[in-house]
This record gives sequence, structure tokens and C-alpha cells, in this order.
Amino acid sequence: MTLLVSVVVAIVFGSGCYLLLKGDLFRVVAGTVLISNAAVLTLVGAGFTRGAAPIRPFPPGSEVSDPLVQALALTALIIGFGVTALLLTLAARVYASSRTVDLDQLSQIEATREDELEEAEA
Amino acid sequence: MTDLLFLPLLVPWLAAVGLVLLDGRRPGVAWLAVGALAAHLAALAVLAARVFERGPEQAVTGEWPAGVGIVVRADALGMVFALLSSAVILAALVHETLAGVGGRRFPALVVFMAAGLTGLFLARDVFNFYVFFEVAMISAYALSTYGGEARQAGAAFVFAVVNLLGSFLFLIAVAGIYHQTGTLDMDGVTTGLAAAGPNAAILIAVLVLVAFSVKLGLFPFHPWLPAVYIGARPAVAAILAGALANIGSYGVLRFGADLLPAQLRAGSIVLVVLGSASIVYGAVQAIGRRDSAEVLAYSAIGQVGYVLVAVGVGGAVGLGAAVLYALVNGLNKALLFLSIDLRGWLVGAAFAVGAFSVVGVPPAAGFLGKVVMFRAGVETGSVALVVLIFLGGALSFLYMFQLYQTDFWAGAREVGRSAPRTRVVVLVLAVLVLALGAWPEPLLAVSRDAAEALGPEGP
Repeated sequence: MTLLVSVVVAIVFGSGCYLLLKGDLFRVVAGTVLISNAAVLTLVGAGFTRGAAPIRPFPPGSEVSDPLVQALALTALIIGFGVTALLLTLAARVYASSRTVDLDQLSQIEATREDELEEAEA
Repeated sequence: MTDLLFLPLLVPWLAAVGLVLLDGRRPGVAWLAVGALAAHLAALAVLAARVFERGPEQAVTGEWPAGVGIVVRADALGMVFALLSSAVILAALVHETLAGVGGRRFPALVVFMAAGLTGLFLARDVFNFYVFFEVAMISAYALSTYGGEARQAGAAFVFAVVNLLGSFLFLIAVAGIYHQTGTLDMDGVTTGLAAAGPNAAILIAVLVLVAFSVKLGLFPFHPWLPAVYIGARPAVAAILAGALANIGSYGVLRFGADLLPAQLRAGSIVLVVLGSASIVYGAVQAIGRRDSAEVLAYSAIGQVGYVLVAVGVGGAVGLGAAVLYALVNGLNKALLFLSIDLRGWLVGAAFAVGAFSVVGVPPAAGFLGKVVMFRAGVETGSVALVVLIFLGGALSFLYMFQLYQTDFWAGAREVGRSAPRTRVVVLVLAVLVLALGAWPEPLLAVSRDAAEALGPEGP
């Protein structure tokens, strides 16, 4: 099971990195989401124990699964959700001011803007 | 008397939640935020005085047994960084309030960051450390867009993505720590990791180091930093460089010297090399720049290199030097960033004090930082390290006074006129930097105590 989780985490993390290197703001956001979920999966995988649901009263004589990692994963998910919303807002703001989400075009716009500023100063 | 332990956490937290609902552009609201932060700083100071006198204090939320409830622990190291960060944040907020706040949410976000940073420095639990760390970082992402032009949103986007990657790597390290040790409490983690397999411990150490290097903006992890510092308002840049960067310094100290001492010793050469690369890269880049915010941004990359080198040197001398250098650097950066859009001979004098402090000329406090760095260098017996520290100082002299010359002496760059009252904070900070340099005993004692608070690596 640990091996399976490791492979899944590796695939999710790798796909996230691939998207992160794409030249498009929304792909970058999607990549960040994937990487955040890879981290959450790692958290869940870190505390694998087989057993009954950890709800009192515990069934006598049987092991319960570790509830702590689930609480951690929930917290991490919420944080990930919050930052995704923030990133999307930032991306929307960039789009509203530049009318593009393509990173190459954005850096071109940036370069022309700087040239204009320098000309204005000179 | 454990209530006092929660007071510095609760005050900014409640104040920030209330402030979100109000319009921060109204001066009354901004002054309310200043009042809340001042109360928070006072509570921290009382707590710090007690910690330095009687030793660390610990409490568990809701009177749960430790291990179930959230453990909050105030020790000398955490208190030093909490005091510095809150003081810098308060200074920046007062500065911005005097100049006129330009955004609805600015005061609330600043107070949220103070809450997050204080929680982080008081957390005694690896996961809560991560949660508070994210609270502070999310405030920083939102703050970095404050008052900027449209292109600042792009810089903030890069800032957020790069730092989120760092955060997720840290989260994976937390998962690794839990898997290896079965606990998240820092004391348990220290003993657990000492018994863990060497490969797993090294992996965790590398992840933690990369995560904090991103926060610090160390050389290979820095590309997000200049763009954010250049576009941000001076008050925000001061907060990022003077308060937020402390997460990195504190994290490297806490996780390196306290939780992973064996790995720190094994990897000390890596830290020294990374720090040295940062010092040289930051200084050389800063010399080639003309814009004041740009010079200071690259200077920030160089200055955190010293902290990393000092941690790499290790031992009582090295760790004490790291704490002291981080303290002095936080104050310098706050002073310099706040003064870049002001003019006048008084501000010029304050800027010169800051510049002297970065270079390490007495009587500014930076002199102490350089002295302890030299002591750490001599202690290791490495000629290269001593030469490097001297070289870094000489280069910083060059770029700081280039900047002083063009901005204040020749008056080559005009900025809009600002009301005389906006100069108050800069002057207070300059006097503080001078006073700490002229009367160094408290600063030295505090950093020694802070280094002693670091478990097994301390003296």
C-alpha cells in the first residue's frame, strides 16, 4: 500500500511540475493545486494503519486507524483551497490588466512597458 | 500564569478579524490597528522579560493533556524573533498610517501577519508551525499586491507560486517527520529523528532547508524576490524583508540546530557554501543596480547569506552570531526600505545610519553583527571565511554609498514631497540602530540566551 501511495504521489507531483513549467497562468495554478494535493496524499500516506474507524467507543480487541493524519490532511486541504482561490484572483487580475495569460506575451508587455518608462525618463 | 502566553496571540487575532470588516483607508481604523499591534507588542515584551528572567514557559490550549491540545511554548529564541518581527511590522504600519493608507484591507492584513508570525515563533508542534507559517505567508501574498500598479499582480503571482512550492515541500517534510517519529511535538521529534534511519533524516533535512531557503530568498532560490520588493510599497517591502524573512532564519535555526542537529553538523559545509554564494551574488548584483529598491532587494539576498553561514559554523558562537545578525539585519532593512521614498537631510542621516549598519561600521548596530561573524569565522580557523566576510562588507560599502550618493547627496532622483510627519518612524528606527550599537550588552545577552535555548547544539 505504501508503494502504491508513493507511486501515485510521484505521478501527481510530476504532473504538477509539468503544468507548472507551462507558459500559461491558469496551467501554473492547476500545477500548484496538483502539487498541494501530492503533499496532502503524502500526509495521509505517512500514517497508514489498518483498523476500524477511530470513533469512541472503540471496538474491543481491534486496532483503530490513525485519526491524526486525517485531521492534518483536512487542515492542509483547507489551506490549499484558500491559496488556490488567492492564486486565481491574482491570475484574474493579471488578465484584467494585460488581457492575456500567456507568460511569453506577459513578459513582452512588461519589456515594452519598461522601454517606454526609460524613454519617458530620457 | 499561563494566560499571558496566549495574550500576544489572541490580541492581534481578534483585532484582525474585526479590522477586516472596517475600511482601512479611514485614519481612525488604521490607528485602531496601530493600537492593537502596540498592545500585542507590549504583551510580548512582558512575556519576553519573564522568559529571559525565569526560562521558557509552556502551556497547552484548553487544558488538554500535552500531545492532544496545541502546545504553545515561549523560549528565548522564539521571543527574540517574535519581538523583532512585531516591532518591524508596527513600525511599517505606523509609517504607512502617517503617510495615508491606500487600501481597505491593509491594516487587517498587517495585523493578521503579526498574528501568524507570533504563532509560528511560539508553536511547539511541527504541524502548527506549518499552519501559522501559512497564515503569515497568505497575508504576505495579499499584501504584496497592495498599492502597486497592474504589473505588481504579476510579481505577486510569481511570489505566491514559488513560496507555495516551498510550503508544500515543507508539508511533505512534516509528513516525513510524522512517519519517522510518530509524533509532531518538537521534543519528541528531536529524539525520534535521532533514532531514525540516516537516509530518511537527511531527506527531511534537505526538504526543510530548501523550504526555508525559498523564504529567505537565498541565492539559487531567490528569483521571486527582486520583482516583489521593487514593485511593492516601501512599507510592504520593509515588512517582507524585516519581518517575513525571519521565518527563514528562525526555521533554519529551530529545525537545524534544535530538531536535526546531527544532519546540521553533517551538512554544515553545504550551508556555508550556499550562504557564501548568496553573499557574493547579492552584493555583486546590488552594485550593478541603480534603483534604490532594487539595490536593497539584492542587498537582502546577500545579507541573509551571513545568517546561513553563521548557522553552518554552528556551536554557541555560530548560533549566537546567526541570531544577532538576523536581528540587526531585520532592523536595517526596515529602516532602509522605509526611507527610500522620503527626502530631506534628517532622512539622509537616518539612511546613512542604516547604510553604516549594513556595512558594519561602528557605532551602528551592524558593527556588532560583523564582529560576531568575524568571531565565528576565526573560531572555525578558516581563512577563506574571514576573507569572505570582509569582502562582503567591502562590497556592501560600495553599493550602499553609491545609493546614498545618488539619492541623498546629489539628489539625482526626485520623489514626490511627503509630509514631515512621515519621517518620524525612520528617525526612531535610526536612533534605535545607533543605540543598540552604542550599548551592545542587551543585544549580545539576548542573542546568547536565544542560542542557548537551542537544545543539544547549544553550549
